[in-house]
Amino acid sequence: MSDRRTIESALSRSTLTGSTPSGIDYRPVAVMPDVRVVKVGGQSIMDRGRAALFPILDEIVEARKQGIQVVLLAGGGTRARHIYAIASELEMPTGVVATLGKYIPMQNARMLQMLLAKHGGIYILPDDFEKLPLYLSLGCIPVMSGMPPFGYWEKHEAGSRIPPHRTDAGAFLSAEFLGSRRAIFIKDEEGLYTDDPKKNASATHIPRITAKELIARDLNDLVVERRVIEYLPRARWCHELQIVNGLRPGQVLAALKGEDVGTIISA
Amino acid sequence: MSQLVGGDGRTHIESRLMRESLQDRAVLSGTDSERDLQIFPDVTMVSIGGQSIFDRGKDAILPLVEELAQVKKRHKMVIGVGGGTRVRHTVALAIDLGLPVGGIAQLVGAMEELNAILLNALLAPHGSMPMQRDHFWDLPLYFDAGITPIAISVPPFHFWEPPPIEGALPMHGSDFGLFQLAEVLGMKQVIYVKDEDGLYDKDPKKHADAKLIEAIELDDLMKRMPTENILDEEMYRTWHEAKNLRRVTIVNGLKPGQLTRALDGEQVGTVITRSGKNEVRHV
Repeated sequence: MSDRRTIESALSRSTLTGSTPSGIDYRPVAVMPDVRVVKVGGQSIMDRGRAALFPILDEIVEARKQGIQVVLLAGGGTRARHIYAIASELEMPTGVVATLGKYIPMQNARMLQMLLAKHGGIYILPDDFEKLPLYLSLGCIPVMSGMPPFGYWEKHEAGSRIPPHRTDAGAFLSAEFLGSRRAIFIKDEEGLYTDDPKKNASATHIPRITAKELIARDLNDLVVERRVIEYLPRARWCHELQIVNGLRPGQVLAALKGEDVGTIISA
Repeated sequence: MSQLVGGDGRTHIESRLMRESLQDRAVLSGTDSERDLQIFPDVTMVSIGGQSIFDRGKDAILPLVEELAQVKKRHKMVIGVGGGTRVRHTVALAIDLGLPVGGIAQLVGAMEELNAILLNALLAPHGSMPMQRDHFWDLPLYFDAGITPIAISVPPFHFWEPPPIEGALPMHGSDFGLFQLAEVLGMKQVIYVKDEDGLYDKDPKKHADAKLIEAIELDDLMKRMPTENILDEEMYRTWHEAKNLRRVTIVNGLKPGQLTRALDGEQVGTVITRSGKNEVRHV
């Protein structure tokens, strides 16, 4: 029998099945560190329509005019919840549910693109990511679905049929790949609270917290997807999540300028 | 029928998850059940190793193609392939260049595709076709026509590959990708074709006293996982939290007949089974 014909490299004898073999020097480079990755909430912003969205878009356009490079990612919202509820009843596997979950953020991204077209809004797919330098140098505002492209390959999470990587994860992972320090999430709350402020009036605001502290609090509900909190300490570049209230005038622009508004969750 | 609900500034569609936070544990737990819809329960996923089979060239590949050509007449299969040494070279170079983990994940799939093209060229006269990324809904058509599809094995995580638990290598390779494809489609089993008789308690290429594990429950295996493993760790982790697949077999593709016996449901190589229920895991 012929031997394995291998190409000699630092990993040629590695199984690639686990951690990086020792003795490998990894010094990561940042791909596009100046880009601000911004997610526009689905249920929190898009489903509110014009009243909530238009002032936010004005601030994003203003930031872009000031030379800030913005990539927008769209969330899902109530239509996503509707299809998740029906798919769950039908006992669809998580990977099918995740695939269904791609379509609503895509619609929302297209809505954002139409509204931003006159200011350089351009709809992109995951496959267009390598063209970001061109779009951004032309002054465009690339808009895409926040859903990461896992689809049928989304893993089941014990105790839930809902895909654990949704549009928050997509925004965080986009920022991490691009080498951006912070991922910005536009929601309809000031950020993090001790409980859901929409249901519990005594919930208090948390301006800054670490992922570790947040995990230790063992909250039953969270303002961002749990997977993002889990990944944050392992990230190489994106060490902060900033959650801002898009309903409060000026917060989005302040966040895009790098100011500490809303809640900052750090690695 | 579904109704639109307003009153809080947002427009909702009436549903069980309406207004709910999808991070809320109580909400999430109401969505799950013991099993999923089983979409293709009579189909087997066959994964052929890159380093173990393809990198050996003609001597290893042709007999296996001959066996596949025979056995495909009796079994519905989807075939996937690994990338082998070219993947390792790609990753080694990418690590030296400092490319981010998502960048590495974006690159590696191309190397596996080369083996898929080779396999398809050899198997095409017996009825095979490369399957587009997620064109699973074509599968009934493939099987009715006697065609064995060759799937893309690397999952489409690409630039969005999550930060690994440790180190800098992407966690989601072809072993995981093909496992997950079988899991989500509710397939019968996965068979990994490698160049060893199965899974050993240590690497048999380095230790003469390594012992073959013939049959084991996944839970038992997780408790005493061999440190040098023939399959990706992520495959086992994923299976442990998955719901549908009950059987994974590892066979030696250098020994004619082992794959056929595994497809026929015989005890051959290493058979890993899973019957246990899920444990709840949350951050």
